[in-house]
Amino acid sequence: MNTTAMNQTVQTEGVTDALSAAAVERMSIGEPEWLRERRAHAWSVYERTPMPTTRLEEWRYTDLGKKLDLDGLELSRAETAPDDPEAWPARLRDTMDADHEASGHIVLIDGHVVHTDIDPSLAERGVILDSLHDALELHPELVQQHLGSIVPAEDGKFEALNAALWADGIFLHVPKDVRLELPIRVTRWLSEPGTAYFSRVLIVADRGSQVSYVDEVVSDDFDRQTLKSSVVEVVADAGAVVQYAKLQRLGRGGFVQSAQRTLAQRDARIDTLNVGLGASVHRVDLNAKLLGPGANSEMLGLYFGDGEQHFDFNTSQDHVEPNTGSDLLYKGALDGDSRAVFRGIIRVLPGAQRTDAYQTNRNLLLSSGARADSLPNLEIQADDVKCSHGATVGELDAEAKFYLMSRGLSKVQAERLVVLGFLGEVLSKLPLGGVVEKVVGVIEEKLAQHG
Amino acid sequence: MPQNETIQDLNLDEYKYDFVTEAEPVYRAQKGLSEEVVRQISKHKDEPEWMLDFRLKALEVYNAKPMPKWGGDLEGLEEVLDEIYFYVRPQDRMQHSWDDVPEEIKDTFEKLGIPEAEQKILAGVGAQYESEMVYHSLREEWEKQGVIFDSIEDGLKNHPELFREHFGTIIPTGDNKFSAMNSAVWSGGSFVYIPKGVSLDTPLQAYFRVNQERMGQFERTLIIVDEGAQAHYIEGCTAPVYSTESFHSGVIEIIVKKNARFRYTTIQNWSNNMYNLVTQRAIVEEGAHMEWLDGNLGSKLTMKYPSCYLMGEGAHGEILSIAYSGDGQHQDTGGKVIHAAPHTTSSIVSKSISKGHGRSTYRGLLKVHEGAHHARSNVECDALLINDTSRTDTYPYIEIEENDANVGHEASVSKIGEEQLFYLTSRGIPEDEAMAMIVRGFIEPIAKELPLEYAVELNRLIELEMEGSVG
Repeated sequence: MNTTAMNQTVQTEGVTDALSAAAVERMSIGEPEWLRERRAHAWSVYERTPMPTTRLEEWRYTDLGKKLDLDGLELSRAETAPDDPEAWPARLRDTMDADHEASGHIVLIDGHVVHTDIDPSLAERGVILDSLHDALELHPELVQQHLGSIVPAEDGKFEALNAALWADGIFLHVPKDVRLELPIRVTRWLSEPGTAYFSRVLIVADRGSQVSYVDEVVSDDFDRQTLKSSVVEVVADAGAVVQYAKLQRLGRGGFVQSAQRTLAQRDARIDTLNVGLGASVHRVDLNAKLLGPGANSEMLGLYFGDGEQHFDFNTSQDHVEPNTGSDLLYKGALDGDSRAVFRGIIRVLPGAQRTDAYQTNRNLLLSSGARADSLPNLEIQADDVKCSHGATVGELDAEAKFYLMSRGLSKVQAERLVVLGFLGEVLSKLPLGGVVEKVVGVIEEKLAQHG
Repeated sequence: MPQNETIQDLNLDEYKYDFVTEAEPVYRAQKGLSEEVVRQISKHKDEPEWMLDFRLKALEVYNAKPMPKWGGDLEGLEEVLDEIYFYVRPQDRMQHSWDDVPEEIKDTFEKLGIPEAEQKILAGVGAQYESEMVYHSLREEWEKQGVIFDSIEDGLKNHPELFREHFGTIIPTGDNKFSAMNSAVWSGGSFVYIPKGVSLDTPLQAYFRVNQERMGQFERTLIIVDEGAQAHYIEGCTAPVYSTESFHSGVIEIIVKKNARFRYTTIQNWSNNMYNLVTQRAIVEEGAHMEWLDGNLGSKLTMKYPSCYLMGEGAHGEILSIAYSGDGQHQDTGGKVIHAAPHTTSSIVSKSISKGHGRSTYRGLLKVHEGAHHARSNVECDALLINDTSRTDTYPYIEIEENDANVGHEASVSKIGEEQLFYLTSRGIPEDEAMAMIVRGFIEPIAKELPLEYAVELNRLIELEMEGSVG
């Protein structure tokens, strides 16, 4: 062992940065006993669960052996982050400036919540918007009741790893009949290359409440692989309405893994939007469960790949009770050598009569190196249903382009309009202020490089 | 009510192929699959050494491959296979005249209407009983033009070079566990060659009959359609209903050469105790057309995905698939199209009907390789569910590596519309008849492609199945 290495050892004595049982133990310091036990249990699930391979149907087109090096990652070393906006990175501030009005904000830097605000009139009516750590202290029962009950560690390798190692997260609770007019906006900034970030989001909407939640993550490019792992749990009680939007704008080198589940009870509505623009690899596992009559879910996805980007969306729509509906639309454009995988399944369980379920995936291939794989599946075990799915992969609509060019637009302008029109269909279904402009902005940048 | 009684009576008579013929086989290998059985088959067929080697290697591949974990429920299949006779030789040699076929066997095919159809509408007929073709005949006019329509064994004997050039090249032994099994124990099936430019105006038909209990049938068919030629081949299958399971695993290899056209029609109506695990594939060369018309009505479990490999520029592949699953049946069917050349086009249309506890699954692959520019493909799957206990699944795989391609997939699931039903019944049409009419309308796009007698048969079957389905 040379001197440098010895120094290193001395410096980090008592602190383990690798993803390990010791790190789990360290995370638990100061946490309630039940959480400590949960983390330990999750770590044991993680350890006994094999890393998914392409032999598994759900990982058929994403080879983790080649795409992810977990051993090369370390946990964040950042103990605290600046809570003074003046000290925040300019890009983070710009991102926030581009947002419209909000009911409340949370800002996270390298996994730490550095800022929280909520409209006082809403706080008075009982709306809770907090970091998970604060919520554990202030609202222990609510958190304990829901956290990890919607996406349990047993769901898979990454779900277990996240449950063992999550550093912080967001807790949003909207009490009965409270309706938020403006969205809650969460902005995240990540800065440490080679780090594995684990965070969670828990949204609980009580009976008859309503809330929109927009979560955006931004970073510069990373010179080493950087993992952002998240688990998102959303519950909408009877008649509640929840909109959840996630906007991923990480730099290259990012590996995004997101496990999301939504539970919609009787007459509840949960709409989700996943936008993938950045990172090198972006994998989403989204499961929507329609648990009560009248429950409904609109599931939207939009992605634009270029370079070597790899997107993999694995969705499922579970119709458990009669009279439920779901409608999924995922659309993407692929340039360069990028690749997209969509695997979606509609499951109508026995007895779930009068289900209306739809699923559409459309891909636009903009270059000869791009590739798209689409697997829209149906499993139907009730007869009185309306279910359909569709998938297309194709090139830019030559006719539309020709038409626009004949009206005097340049080739680049015409292509831009056709692509924006194609992807715009998704945004128009959930037109959240701020999101549309940002997404269109990034797409325009990407198209400018397409040339 | 007298009307209900009629329905009941008809339901008893649902599967009209449930009759057993008392015919003693001339030879029967021991139960189960072993090297000894493979050697016996090869010896009985008096095969060249290379074929015995081919079979033995295939047996090794079969043993090494795990049972598939996807598709239908294959649990318990290994036990079934241990009890099955892999080779049953019904008579000493194949005949070219029905008069020479043993009376009992001939009787079977007469009940199935084969000799009659042969006289009226077919260019040639092959009839397989248990493990071997018992009869094969081709009209003289086609024989004169160089058409070969023979049992696969005679193909190997009489056309060794043509046979060896293609055999096992389209579906290699190791393609899947059951193609390996078939390669080890194949017996029966057809060898077909359509010479350049020859156009058959009536179909060739092969009929497969399993008669004995605990029987395994392993037909192997090789079809070569030479440049510019045209032909249509029809395959029909039935068996009596036994309380034990039977097994059928065929391998069908087809090559459709430049600018040729070929259609392969299957009407599978095996009894509901049959496992039917079949591999069918066609290589389609430049400008050629291949059509699979796949009707799966019988069997306990069918796993079958006819495929077109579009290898030459402008090649076209088409798969029309219809599946009916009643109680205890699972039809796991669909198709695969591989676009490996520019300007290739394909279409898959699948229609399924699930009734009672039946389950219909569409499983398909559509792949466009890089460089297959201007590829176009469309897939449409429609499923009709009759009861709340019926199930349907759709598992399409779409893999696109070429940007200058357009592919689409659409699937829908529905039940018989109350409105449709109300409209028809309000016109005085009894409800079960109305159901049958709607179902007939649903499958019409495929039924109209069938040879007339099969279309009639399909319609009759649907009518029977729909009677008594009204709750």
